[in-house]
Amino acid sequence: MKLTIERAALLKALGHVQSVVERRNTIPILSNVLISAGPRGLALSATDLDMEIVDETEAEVEAPGQITAPAHTLYEIVRKLPEGAEVSLSYTGDDPRLQVRAGRYKVNLPVLPAGDFPAMPKDGLSQAVEVETEALIRLIDRTRFAISTEETRYYLTGIYLHPLVEEGREILRAVATDGHRLALADMPAPAGAVGAPGVIIPRKTVQEARRLMEDAGETVSVQVSPQKVRFDFGRASLTSKVIDGAFPDYKRVIPQGNGRVLTADNALFAAAVDRVATISSEKSRSVKLAVEPGRVVLTVRNMETGQAQEELEADYDGAPFEIGFNARYLLDVSAQIGAEMIELRFADRAGGAAMLDPVLVLDPKDAASQFVLMPLRA
Amino acid sequence: MSEPAAGVGLEEAAAAFVAAPPPAHRRKIIHVDMDAFYASVEQRDDPALRGVPVAVGHGAARGVVAAASYEARTFGVRSAMPSTTALRLCPHLIFVRPRFEVYRAVSRHIHAIFARYTDLIEPLSLDEAYLDVTANRARLASASDTAREIRARILEATGLTASAGVSYNKLLAKLASDMRKPNGQYVIPPEMGAAFVASLPVERLPGVGPVTAAKMRSLGLVTGADLRDADAAWLAARFGKMGAAFHRMARGEDDRPVRPDRERKSAGSETTLSTDLTAPDEIATAVMTMAADVWAWRDKHAALARTVTVKLKYADFRIVTRSRTFAAPVTDRGAFEAACRELVGRLMPPERPVRLVGVSLHGFLDAPEATASAPQLALPF
Repeated sequence: MKLTIERAALLKALGHVQSVVERRNTIPILSNVLISAGPRGLALSATDLDMEIVDETEAEVEAPGQITAPAHTLYEIVRKLPEGAEVSLSYTGDDPRLQVRAGRYKVNLPVLPAGDFPAMPKDGLSQAVEVETEALIRLIDRTRFAISTEETRYYLTGIYLHPLVEEGREILRAVATDGHRLALADMPAPAGAVGAPGVIIPRKTVQEARRLMEDAGETVSVQVSPQKVRFDFGRASLTSKVIDGAFPDYKRVIPQGNGRVLTADNALFAAAVDRVATISSEKSRSVKLAVEPGRVVLTVRNMETGQAQEELEADYDGAPFEIGFNARYLLDVSAQIGAEMIELRFADRAGGAAMLDPVLVLDPKDAASQFVLMPLRA
Repeated sequence: MSEPAAGVGLEEAAAAFVAAPPPAHRRKIIHVDMDAFYASVEQRDDPALRGVPVAVGHGAARGVVAAASYEARTFGVRSAMPSTTALRLCPHLIFVRPRFEVYRAVSRHIHAIFARYTDLIEPLSLDEAYLDVTANRARLASASDTAREIRARILEATGLTASAGVSYNKLLAKLASDMRKPNGQYVIPPEMGAAFVASLPVERLPGVGPVTAAKMRSLGLVTGADLRDADAAWLAARFGKMGAAFHRMARGEDDRPVRPDRERKSAGSETTLSTDLTAPDEIATAVMTMAADVWAWRDKHAALARTVTVKLKYADFRIVTRSRTFAAPVTDRGAFEAACRELVGRLMPPERPVRLVGVSLHGFLDAPEATASAPQLALPF
């Protein structure tokens, strides 16, 4: 195998695939990138057995062939080469290593046979559905912050992407939850989406797919099966296993009748939460909201560092009440609100009753996103 | 295994055996045990180690075997054996330094596989766990099919073999996993449980170490059947709390649940010194090195523990410990190090040369309790 490629093009291709490769690998070949030189140029593949990214790019191929070499090392080398350098990659039977040359620099890298590189089968995938890249990015960005990191509830460690028909409208919906909060975002279902199975896309796949969307064209082509999802971004494509589990019935926890509505300036609200929470202990980040007509008072008490309080103007005209939240959760959800105002809808409770019900958070300018937050026990 | 274990004391185990209620329903428990785990990982990653006797551990004069490959076991090499003994039994034994990072990574991988089949997973160490698959999430025909599939998935994902025991409680599942090792599995059905334990020598029962076994033999208790036929009160009089536990075990009874939330009881670091130390400042330095390890672990896990213990082992193998318990979890490195220094100081000058030093943290709190603040409510799914 022998090929020549411009440094920037190779760096971009390696950049697309190398982040799949885990830093610590228990199976040696998974540290490697598969380099394939053929009539269509250079293809790079990387996998962690759950996900595979392939990137295809133009290159001057002198001798076709395939080999695998350490992904992170190769990436670091190419990154450090001078701009505009012509890089040649060659692997011949004579030297059992991959030779990388650029100008007066050369290096030999250890290789493992291409035949040992695990391929991810692509059988059973649905017809490709073309989804607008921007709309797909919005679904991910609105929901990914709520993905669970708790491995014991592995079925929550991803975004549940599924088509549905609601009130006669065909919708493609993304939902994520960690059991304490939930984020939901809708878009009109693209042609061919309704009828496809819902899939729970693992966090790492979401992260990689989102990154590759930056370089994608107007649309991303998506294929699913009960076991897999595949995104085609043009030059790069990503195939991943999906989480093998049942996503909980999220509709049950979205409050329907929350009638106490508080509206506040979103930026001022976030800044106030952030300020008062500065003194809170790292773990709990507990902030109390005392809501009364016309205003909300935020309080954080910390046994060691004292008490912080801030008053904020708010649009509210119901009975006064108090409720506690994890400050981090309030900040995360506030960051999803694009409008000037944030709207919090609380359950109607008889005066004095503890506020322990789910709270709905809405963006007044975006009816296609909903957020649910559980409070802290008082 | 030098990994800090989430240990449950014998007394606690005995109490569980005694106090457990009668079984409400027939459970399906799998005990999964990786075959010669550390050694197999090393043999997988280095072809030169395949087919030859391998010990994971330090081959130096004072080292200990952490794990032995099956080839090494045919020579009588066992884990926890001093390296010198192992080398005498098997002079061409190859020692490999342990790579706990890798073992932990593989262990996480295996646990992710378990999680596809049940939420009720109780890890015993990096290479062993109990699974309660009564709910049969995977909808397989039987628990032994589930065990077979789990083992196949482990092999596919890690290239390593596991053995499994399947039965209706933890005691029998664990005894069963030993039956077809390596790379096999064994089922003890409910009607066979009592007979299976009856046929075992008493040494195979959990809680029966060399001392208890010798005592049992002197009383004429050689097999599970002897224990089964003994009077419960007579056993309790001779073996205390464990007596009643042995009586239940001998009937194949064990209602201890598979506890996924079993928390870590302690975390520590200790090392056998390359030469015995007598100078107080040298001993203190060795202790502070261990303290640094423990603190690094604490930082990484953001663990909240209230008790610090310093341990010394003298040249005559006698162990002394000194502990200090704080009112609140130790989160300040300075306070932790000062406590370690003070504790080792209390043992100075040493009564005898010191061959091992250790530091550990105990009394872990979970986060909500530790911060004494309002707990986060869960969405009502």
